[in-house]
Amino acid sequence: MRNGLTQHINILDYALSSLWRRRLKNISVLVVFAWVIFLVASFQLLTQALTETALLALRSAPEITVQKMSAGRQVEIPVNYSRRLTGILGVKEIVPRVWGYYFDEVSGANYTVMGIDPGRMPLLDRLNLTLEEGGVYDPMSRGKTVVGRSVQRIMEEKGSALLSLFRPDLSQASFEITGVFKPETDILTNDLIVLNIDDARDLFAIPSKMATDFCVYVANQSEIATIAKKIADKLPGSRVLTRSQMNRTYQVVFSWRSGFASVCLLTALTAFVILAWDKASGLSPEEKREISILKILGWETADVLAVRFWEGILVSGLAFLLGCTLAYGHVFFFNASMFKPVLIGWSVISPELHLAPGFRVDRFLLIFCLSVLPYLAATVIPAWRSASVPADSALSGM
Amino acid sequence: MLIELKNVTKIYNQRQANEVIALKGIDLKIDDNSITCLRGASGSGKSTILAIIGCVFQPTTGRVSIAGKQLTRLPDRFLTLHRRQYIGFIFQNLNILPSLTVRDNITLPLVPLGVTPAEMHKKATPLMEKFSIDHRQNFPASQISGGELQRVAIARALINDPPLILADEPTAHLDSRLSEEFMRFMMDLKSAGKTIIITSHDPLVTEHPDVDRVIDIKDGRIYVT
Repeated sequence: MRNGLTQHINILDYALSSLWRRRLKNISVLVVFAWVIFLVASFQLLTQALTETALLALRSAPEITVQKMSAGRQVEIPVNYSRRLTGILGVKEIVPRVWGYYFDEVSGANYTVMGIDPGRMPLLDRLNLTLEEGGVYDPMSRGKTVVGRSVQRIMEEKGSALLSLFRPDLSQASFEITGVFKPETDILTNDLIVLNIDDARDLFAIPSKMATDFCVYVANQSEIATIAKKIADKLPGSRVLTRSQMNRTYQVVFSWRSGFASVCLLTALTAFVILAWDKASGLSPEEKREISILKILGWETADVLAVRFWEGILVSGLAFLLGCTLAYGHVFFFNASMFKPVLIGWSVISPELHLAPGFRVDRFLLIFCLSVLPYLAATVIPAWRSASVPADSALSGM
Repeated sequence: MLIELKNVTKIYNQRQANEVIALKGIDLKIDDNSITCLRGASGSGKSTILAIIGCVFQPTTGRVSIAGKQLTRLPDRFLTLHRRQYIGFIFQNLNILPSLTVRDNITLPLVPLGVTPAEMHKKATPLMEKFSIDHRQNFPASQISGGELQRVAIARALINDPPLILADEPTAHLDSRLSEEFMRFMMDLKSAGKTIIITSHDPLVTEHPDVDRVIDIKDGRIYVT
């Protein structure tokens, strides 16, 4: 066993020196390979981090959201519909909500305006924790608002102390900013304006007996699906969304973009592997001579193959480590500045990313299987042919 | 160790348009602990005989045995192990890897044997001292002289202490001084009990007084004058 281990160490040492002897070529391969892995890993890590950030932020969302549908589109729901749901066992609270979108022509930004009754929100304390500055008053007074960071920034650029929005009849409604959401919630709150529910009704000209949807809070988390079904039965024609469905939607949004980008990058990776195969298939006269000399000196085909294997492992392994490390730094320390537009999209007020560093073994394993294993196959399999170079090639006069 | 070739023929590219019959029925016995020279012009077949004795080639027909052990029709793996244990090669072009150091070149045959670096050093050092190349051991082979390269090649051939040394046109690219030096080394090896077979058409080798036997090869046959 000692001999076997020493043999492999000797061969590994020879492989290292062989790589060093052809360092220009090998460093080029390493750099290109690491770059491709960096791109793939960056997308994987960014998707993972965005999804986790979104899921974290969604933890304070209501367990169930109920919307009224008509002709396949969401319409306003009468507030008294909530009386049909109060009898359902397990429902803790039903809170009407008014929300919509507001386009600011001056800045070109699209805001999400949400009107809530903080006195009825069961998670008011948790909502306060999401604020960097200020607080949500209990109850939120009329004429006051809590906004996302991009909204605050636009207000500062305008030099305005009050947030002024226009009603459908073009009359102006002004609000005092009493709180700003934390950067960590940017992914959900960046463009958000939170108002008192009556202020929101006033802004959108929605009657007081109507709401955009209901937030349904549930006592027992394991009963969400059951209660959602009961709500759907009691309110036919409504759309009942559970929090887990919203989580999946966010995952899909980021996943398909990441998948699309990954497919493009996998093409580059495949091209690289094909190139590696092509390179490994041909031997330079110098390489043929070296193998022939080794065979005459008593090296077996398996020994020569072992050298090629270790060369492949060292190059691809180092490229993998380098690419993944750079990707980790790029995503979590430089906020994925290269790829943010692909996954976040373009907007006047796109969020700054503050992603919590994360490490998931399955993601790195996936990248490893997509990069190192194909490279090893592409270099070791043709190396079998090269290792079978006859020993006589080194003898002249043949 | 008696080396015996019995009715050995070697045909390259058999049944093809460029078929070449390199050896035609060679019968040969070489005694133990001797220096034998195979003499002949280029293309006469002397290097082919050397390659067959060295188990690099298999003969097309005929038998080869060394110390009573049959070596024909054996799998490549067995021949490799046999070469590793019994044969040291000195190539015409020396075939030293220029990017490896002198010491690494000499210990190259030991790498697949599972010999520890300390043991490799222990085996290589006496050889390097004997051939006066120990002061160059850490130099890349590309940076040493032709004479030193030759000594590295001899040291490498001896690292496994093989009983049989095969040298293919070893003085082809050497001046007379180095050629004489090479023959002195061969004499030392013979004194140490080795069997040496050299192919050459260099008179400095073929007519050397310490060569025990010269066998002339012409057109693939042993030529008896």
